Amino acid sequence: MNGGQVLFGIFALLTCGGAVAVALTQNVVRMAFWLIVSLGSASGLFFLLNADFVGATQLLIYVGGTVVLLIFGVMLTTSGPLLKIPSSPGELIQSAVVGVLFISMFFFTVWSVDWEHVANTARVHDSTTDTVALQNDTTGRPIGMAFLGVRPDRDLGAAEGQPLSTGYFLPFEIVSMHLLVVLIGAAYLARAKRQITTAESRSEVV
Amino acid sequence: MEGVDLKLFLLVGAVLFVCGVICMTSKRNGIGVLIGVELVLNAANLNFVAFSRYTPLGLDGQIMALFVIVLAAAEAAVALAIALNFYNNHLTIDVDRADELRG
Amino acid sequence: MLLADASVSSLGNTLAILLGIACLLPLCGFLIEIFAGYWSDRLSKTPALMAVGCIGGGFACSLLALILWGNATCWTALKADEHGAAHHSVRDDSAETQLALADEELHADEHSSAGADDHHAFHPEVEHHVASEEGHDDHAAEGLVPAHAVFSGTIYRLAKFGNLDITVDYYIDSLTLVMFVMVTFIATCIHIFAIGYMSEELTHEYVDHAVHMSDGHHLHRPGRFYRFFAYMSLFCFSMLGLVYSGSIFLVFVFWELVGICSYLLIGFYVERKSANVAANKAFIMNRVGDFGFLIGLMILWTSFGTFRFAEEIDDHGQAHAGLFHMVRGDKGLMRVSSETGDVVMWGEHEETLLDENDQPRTIPYYLLVIAGLGIFAGCVGKSAQFPLQTWLPDAMEGPTPVSALVHSATMVAAGVYLAGRFFPMFTTDVLLVIAYTGCITLFVAATIAIVATDIKRVLAYSTISQLGYMMLAIGVGGWGAGLFHLITHAFFKSLMFLASGSVIFGCHHEQEMPKMGGLWRKMPITALTMLVGVIAIAGLAIPVTIMGARIAFSGYHSKDAIVATALAFTEANSMHFLLFLTPLVTAGITAFYMFRLWFYTFAGDPRDKHVYDHAHETPKVMTIPLLVLSLFAAGCAIGGEEGVLYRLLSNSEPVGVAAGRMSGAGGISLPSHEAIHLVHAQAGTWALIVAVLGAFLAYVFYGARWVNPTEVGQSFPRLYRFLVEKWQFDALYDAMFVRPVRIIAGWFVVFDRVVLDGFLHAAASSVVHISKWDRRFDESIIDGFVNLMASVTFGIGRSFKKVQTGMLRQYITFIALGVLALFVLMLSFFPN
Repeated sequence: MNGGQVLFGIFALLTCGGAVAVALTQNVVRMAFWLIVSLGSASGLFFLLNADFVGATQLLIYVGGTVVLLIFGVMLTTSGPLLKIPSSPGELIQSAVVGVLFISMFFFTVWSVDWEHVANTARVHDSTTDTVALQNDTTGRPIGMAFLGVRPDRDLGAAEGQPLSTGYFLPFEIVSMHLLVVLIGAAYLARAKRQITTAESRSEVV
Repeated sequence: MEGVDLKLFLLVGAVLFVCGVICMTSKRNGIGVLIGVELVLNAANLNFVAFSRYTPLGLDGQIMALFVIVLAAAEAAVALAIALNFYNNHLTIDVDRADELRG
Repeated sequence: MLLADASVSSLGNTLAILLGIACLLPLCGFLIEIFAGYWSDRLSKTPALMAVGCIGGGFACSLLALILWGNATCWTALKADEHGAAHHSVRDDSAETQLALADEELHADEHSSAGADDHHAFHPEVEHHVASEEGHDDHAAEGLVPAHAVFSGTIYRLAKFGNLDITVDYYIDSLTLVMFVMVTFIATCIHIFAIGYMSEELTHEYVDHAVHMSDGHHLHRPGRFYRFFAYMSLFCFSMLGLVYSGSIFLVFVFWELVGICSYLLIGFYVERKSANVAANKAFIMNRVGDFGFLIGLMILWTSFGTFRFAEEIDDHGQAHAGLFHMVRGDKGLMRVSSETGDVVMWGEHEETLLDENDQPRTIPYYLLVIAGLGIFAGCVGKSAQFPLQTWLPDAMEGPTPVSALVHSATMVAAGVYLAGRFFPMFTTDVLLVIAYTGCITLFVAATIAIVATDIKRVLAYSTISQLGYMMLAIGVGGWGAGLFHLITHAFFKSLMFLASGSVIFGCHHEQEMPKMGGLWRKMPITALTMLVGVIAIAGLAIPVTIMGARIAFSGYHSKDAIVATALAFTEANSMHFLLFLTPLVTAGITAFYMFRLWFYTFAGDPRDKHVYDHAHETPKVMTIPLLVLSLFAAGCAIGGEEGVLYRLLSNSEPVGVAAGRMSGAGGISLPSHEAIHLVHAQAGTWALIVAVLGAFLAYVFYGARWVNPTEVGQSFPRLYRFLVEKWQFDALYDAMFVRPVRIIAGWFVVFDRVVLDGFLHAAASSVVHISKWDRRFDESIIDGFVNLMASVTFGIGRSFKKVQTGMLRQYITFIALGVLALFVLMLSFFPN
């Protein structure tokens, strides 16, 4: 039982517990809180997996951005304090059945697959270089290079004459555009309807 | 990291996923459904990162996770806008009230 | 020589162009009149003036052509006879071995005809050949054209089917020229006359008193002045084209055009049933004859391979003999092979025509006879010969100017013209048939004319009779006499018809002679001109000779020539004596009925006071043509056979006629000119005596009225009725053709109604029944299937509708369950 295992146990428990709490809580605000707990501990798991950049991004965007957005949504759509929209017990049972079935499916799968075999057979390149890079270095720089279309994590130390690996420059650009469009679209959606409703209410008044 | 198996990360991801699905099926609140979606996406992220660590997938897994995070953020923004519209139209956020597409 | 060639070809071209213009002018007139007349008002006389202008222009062109031709030939045609006796005497022995000698002599003393005695197309090479051999080319050097030269050529090729060339050819010789001048001149006079006669049509509201409507009123219709003249123009065009054309096929085309024009004009008063029937009758009778014509055409083409009269020079400069040359050769001889009895054809240069296998080309004799009979059948229809003569009297339903045109210059002349033109193709058997046909016709028609009372009908029967004379003349070998009579008859018959038209117009459309009488006091010009015509047709003459010729009107000379030919023929073939006796007797009958007509109409006391009181002389536009025509009727044949007209015509006489050399197989010999000349005086005297007798009888019956003709008629009631009924021809045809056709048609009607209609009805009803079954099949099975499919789809959709609850969370549940199900499935199928 080393420190890594201990840390994994704590973060895993927090993550799962947060998620279960989200599922069980009826209050939206609490759900958001438990979501923060769950996502935050997930970022801890990312750090444990040497994915420091992804973990940081998880904390920044998810915990800092998305959840705040959700809380804004809660605030904007809640007509009273501590509003609950309760589900019926039948629905809960139904959901639980589905959940149990799902989790048993996953457990079955996870246990039945020989992951060592998968890792060995799927090896497509000499893993010594990148394992070194992943274990001894931070991942921010190679990820940035990958977004720019250069893969030092793979091509450094590669055999002479081997074709270069591909980067993610184009998907990066596409996602950028996508984000822009989504932001504009969201702003428009949130705005336009309100105008129409006011117009409708006015006409009703008149 | 010695002593921790890939399977354990996958199990954590499975739990997250199932909790997300349960959220989506049981919550009547639209925001709750959204939170379920976030959980499901996060489960996928966890799997990606775990695979990048334990398999030759390498950095590609992390990059996928980054894309998922970004798209989740975008999805959240649009979904919030939809939720606001929904609320404006129905004066509630209860998704069961939206059955206009009933056959 | 070159000069001669050039002058010949240029003269030919000039004549072709001039006559072509003369021919096409009426066609242009027709087109303008029919369209412009239709669009303009109906009160204008412009169409008439235009028609007169066109035909007058045609006359001018024709006359110019004749004068040019005369100048080019130095009028040798008119002074040719001083050596006629010489070659008559030589030709008389007509032995083939002496032919070459005869021709040599002929060239030696015949200054007029430097270019051989070929009747076919004038060919410079032939002339060259002859001239250089004989050394008598003094006239040729002057550029003299032989008077009997034929100008022929092709204007336009219509079509070519294999060997068959359908071309627009012309064929111009002196006969063509004379016919052109005669037709255009007479047509001009008739046109001018018609301006006056048809003036009643110059109205918007013409009342036709002959047509009774169902409401008891007379028919009112717009005047058709312009249409009349348009038809007349077309008629003239057709006739001129017929004379102009140089191939039998083109002749047939214009032949039919003449037929349709006569149909239009006879049926001009279309609202009158009688006019309708008459037009149909004329047309159908002509069809009967044209059927024979077509058969003749087919035989000619299959046997000879060409339709041309004259030779043709093809694209390679090769000359191909025409129809006449193939049969008759240069000397007018028909060669009948002694072995097979076939007729051997002549080639272009007096050699035997060979076919592809170098065998002589021949035509079976009987085929040539059939072809000739077929063509003659066409002539019979057109010229109203026995047995197709009945249409001509009925054609009197047309306006009188039409009758004049039909009876003199155009329609009926076409038949005689063609018989004359086609003379070289007729064998002696055919000629005998022609002669007997003419003989029967002239007698039958003349006897009917005795009892006819309608003034126009008398003239119509006299026309038939005179046409019979012409046919008889052609049949007995008097080619010149027949066509001579054709021309003279055209003049006096058009004169008499116009005069009768004048009478009818003056008497307000009264045509019955028994209601007339004494009209000479009211219309002296008409009476006088009619008298000229009557004397001309009766053939009266003063029995003294001045300067070698009798003083007589035209009819005397031409009829005299015919009777003389017939007498010569009878002397040579005594068993055919009827061919002389009948025309001689009929000459008397002719004189009788013509004078009867005149006395009936103009002499004595008026029989119908009403008609007489209202009668008046016609306007000048009608009397002047009468006067002009009477001049020509009296004087056109002056000099008889030594006169201008006959000489002109005789230049076109088929070679060999003069020598009587036409005789072929069959044992019939045709008289030579010499033989005719010998009996001329005798025949003339006989004819004159008979004619004077006939005229005197007419005076006895109708002029002085010493004997009452009605009593005479009543004393022979059967004969009288027989004649009044026109020898029962109409009844005979009715019984022979009309009634059997009706009976057969009745059977066909029954057959149609019972069998064909029954079959059709059964078929129709079975189709209806099948359709009913088909409908049931459609509605139950096909529609049922389609509906079933639709309802199944609809039901499935309806049942799935329940699933679509619109509940978001339910959908998610379904998705989750679906994923699970897929997982289970995958596991169960792929356990590993």
